[in-house]
Amino acid sequence: MAKRVAIIGVGMQKFEFRKKETVEEMVFDVTRNALENSHLSKEDIDAVVFGSAVDAFCGIHNSDKVAIDASGGLLKPTMRNSTSGSTAISTPILGYTHVASGMYDLVMVVCFEKMSENESAQAVFSTVYDEAFVRPIGLNVPIQCGLEARAYINRYGITERQMAKVSVKNRGNALSNPYAQLPMKLTVEDVMKSPYLSWPVKLFDTSPVTDGARAVILASEDVARELTDDPVWVKGLGRGADSVWFMGRTNNDLGRLDYAYMAAKQAYDMAGIRDPMSEIDYAEVYDPFTYKEMQHCEALGLCPEGGAGRMIDEGISLKGGALPVNASGGLQGEGNPIGAGMSRLCWCYFQIKGQAGDCQVPKDVNTAVANGWGGMYQYNAVMVIGRD
Amino acid sequence: MSNRVCIIGIGVIESDQPIIDLSHKELLFYATRQALDDAGLERKDIGGAITASYDFLEGRSLSNQYTLDSIGGVMKPCDLRLGEDAIYSIFAGYMEVMADPSQVVVLASVQKSSERDPEGLGYQKLIADSMEPVFSRPVCKAVPNPFGLESVLAAMDARVFMERAGLNEEDVASIAVKNMTILDPEGKRSGPDKKAVLKSDLLSWPIRKMTKARETDAACIIILASEKKARRLCNEPVLIRGIGWCSDQSHLASREQGLARETKWAAHQAYNMAGIRCPDKEIDVAEISDWYAHRELMHCEALGFCVLNEIGANIKDGVFEKDGDLPINVSGGLLGRGNAIGTSGLIRVAQIALQIRGEANGYQVPGVKVGLAHSWGGITSATAGVAILSKW
Repeated sequence: MAKRVAIIGVGMQKFEFRKKETVEEMVFDVTRNALENSHLSKEDIDAVVFGSAVDAFCGIHNSDKVAIDASGGLLKPTMRNSTSGSTAISTPILGYTHVASGMYDLVMVVCFEKMSENESAQAVFSTVYDEAFVRPIGLNVPIQCGLEARAYINRYGITERQMAKVSVKNRGNALSNPYAQLPMKLTVEDVMKSPYLSWPVKLFDTSPVTDGARAVILASEDVARELTDDPVWVKGLGRGADSVWFMGRTNNDLGRLDYAYMAAKQAYDMAGIRDPMSEIDYAEVYDPFTYKEMQHCEALGLCPEGGAGRMIDEGISLKGGALPVNASGGLQGEGNPIGAGMSRLCWCYFQIKGQAGDCQVPKDVNTAVANGWGGMYQYNAVMVIGRD
Repeated sequence: MSNRVCIIGIGVIESDQPIIDLSHKELLFYATRQALDDAGLERKDIGGAITASYDFLEGRSLSNQYTLDSIGGVMKPCDLRLGEDAIYSIFAGYMEVMADPSQVVVLASVQKSSERDPEGLGYQKLIADSMEPVFSRPVCKAVPNPFGLESVLAAMDARVFMERAGLNEEDVASIAVKNMTILDPEGKRSGPDKKAVLKSDLLSWPIRKMTKARETDAACIIILASEKKARRLCNEPVLIRGIGWCSDQSHLASREQGLARETKWAAHQAYNMAGIRCPDKEIDVAEISDWYAHRELMHCEALGFCVLNEIGANIKDGVFEKDGDLPINVSGGLLGRGNAIGTSGLIRVAQIALQIRGEANGYQVPGVKVGLAHSWGGITSATAGVAILSKW
C-alpha cells in the first residue's frame, strides 16, 4: 500500500517580468528558502523533481539540467516533469510517487519558468500544435481560449460581467500578496472597458507573462512526524487528459471539461471527500483566464455545474466568502509563470498552516484543493491537501 | 516486498533506413498495438501513460503531449515528462505502480532523427543550446569545427579516458567492430573490420565516423503492471529489481572529463536496491550506452564490470563478446542498431527483457537470469539511468 506523504516546507520568491536572476539563481533562491523554512540542509534531500513547462521559453535545451547544482541535486536522482500549465500540480504528483512508492523519504520539488527570455511567449505556444492540420490556422493562446470561453458561456449562460468580477477579485486579492507581480485595484467597468483579445476574452481577463520559481519539500510519514508536529498531508490526487486534438474532444464540446471532472473525481475519491462544496475549506484554482477559474470551480465541485456565475455574484468565492478561491490573487494577480504555477499548492499550504499573512482567509482551513490546467489545453491535475 | 513491478508487454519499431512513410503518431500507434498484443491487453485496460521526449530535437514545444492519442492515454491519468531520456519513464512508471498497484502503465517514446538532418549544423547548434548560457555556451559557440561541436566535446572526454585507462585507438575500434558485427541466425558474422573503422572519417581525434553511433528512427513501448496483476495476465513477466538515476554537473568547466560519475552513482543506487554486490559475476547480460565506442568502456568501469587497468586485457580476452563472461550489447547497441536519441534508452530495457524471456532472436545469450540496461543522456547533459531486470 502506498505510504502517506506530507508537505513540510515551501520556498517562495517574488514573481516578476524580466527577472535579473538566471534560471540557476532562481532555483537556488527558492530551494534555499524551502530548506530554511523546514530547517533542513541540502544533504538531507534524497531526490529532486523539476517542473518546467517549455524549454523554448528560456532557450535552454533540457533547462532543468543547468539548475541541478543550484537545487542541491548534484549526483542525486533528479527528474523533470513537463505538462505545460498543469506542470504546476503534476510535478508535485510525481514527487508524491517518489515518496509514496517507498523509494525516498525527502524529496524536493522545484518548479521554475523564465518566460521573458524569448521574444514572444505566444510564438512559442504556437509550436505546440500539429504542423499539418492545426498550425496553419494560426492559433495562439488567447484565440484558442476565446473559442473555449465562447463555448462555455454559450453552454451555461455565463455573462462577461461575471467574468470581469473574477478579474476584480483576483487582482484585488493580490494587493496583500508580497510575491505578486500584478496587484491592481480594478472595478468591473475597468475590466469591461479593456480591449478584446479574442471575444469574449479581454485584456484584463488574462494573466501576465512572468518569471519565477517555487519549491515544495515532501516527506514520508515517519520523517514528517519527526520534523514537524503539524504536517500537512497529501490526501488525494488526480490527473486526466483528453485528446490532444481540440476538435476531437471525447464529448465534442469545448465548454465542458470532462477531463477535469475526471481528475477531480479521482482526487476526491482518494481523499474520501463526497461533498466538496461543504468539505473543502479553501481552493486555489488555476486561472490563466477568468472564465477558466469559473470552469475549474465547477469541475472541482466547488459550485454546481453551471453555477460559477452565481458563485461570484453571491460572493461565495471572495476572500471573506463561504468558500474562498484564490485569496492569494491566483495567476491573474500573482503572475502566470506556466510551470511555476505550483504557487497554487504553496498558498493552500500557507492557508492550512495559518501562515498566509495578509492573504489569510478569516475561517479555519483544514482541507484545501489546488489544480493545474495545461498540456495542449487538455490536461488537468488536482491535489487535495489537509490536516488529519 | 510483496508488491513488485513487472514488464508485461514490449513493442519496438526500428529501422536502418529513415522511416518516411510513418509519422511520430503512427509509429507509436503500431508500437503500442504490438505491446498490447504482447501483453494480451486491450486499450481499455490501460490505466495511465507516461511519455518522454526532447522538445528541441522534435522541433515542437510540449512534444510529449503530442503523441498521447496514439498510446491510449486519452481520458486516463497520465504523467508526461520531457527533457529526459526515455529510460526515465521506467523509473517514473515503477514509482507510479508502487504507489498504486492497480495501475497498468504504458511507457512511450519515439524519435525521428530523419526529420531534422542529424549530420547538419542545426543539430550541432542545438548542442550549444543545451549548455548553461552564461559561461559554457559562449565557449561552445566559439568552437570552429566543420564536423560540429558534439565530436569535439566527446573527443576531450575520450582522450582523458584513454590516457587514464592506457588504451589506444585500436582498443576503442575493437568495441565498434564488436557491436557492428551482425550475427545471422546461422551464426555467420558480417560487419566492418578494425581496419575499416580506423580508416573511417576523423571527426575529432579520436572520434571517428564509425566509433560514433549514427542517428536513426525508432519507437518503443513498454507496459508495466504490478506483480499480482502480471501473474494473471502474462506467462513470462520480467521483474524490475533495481532502478537508479543520477545527473552530474552541466557546467562543462566543472565536470570532470573521462569519468562517468553519473553512471557510477545511478548504478550504486540500483545495485543497492537489487541487493547486488558483485555486478561482474551476478549480472548475466548488459545493454549499455555506446553512443561513442569509448563510452562503452567508460560505462563498464563505472558499472563495476571491470577495474580501470584491466579494461585493455578484458578487451583482448573477449570478456564482453557474446560468448564471453559478461556479454555486453549483444543486440548491437547504439553503434550497431543506431541511436534514436532518448528512445534508445527504453529500447535497451526492451532488449534486456527479451533476453530474459529468451526471445532475442539471433543474438540470444543462453541462460540469462539477471540483466542490466543502462542509458546515458549524451555529452551535454551528463545524466544516466540504470535498470536491473530479472526472471520472475
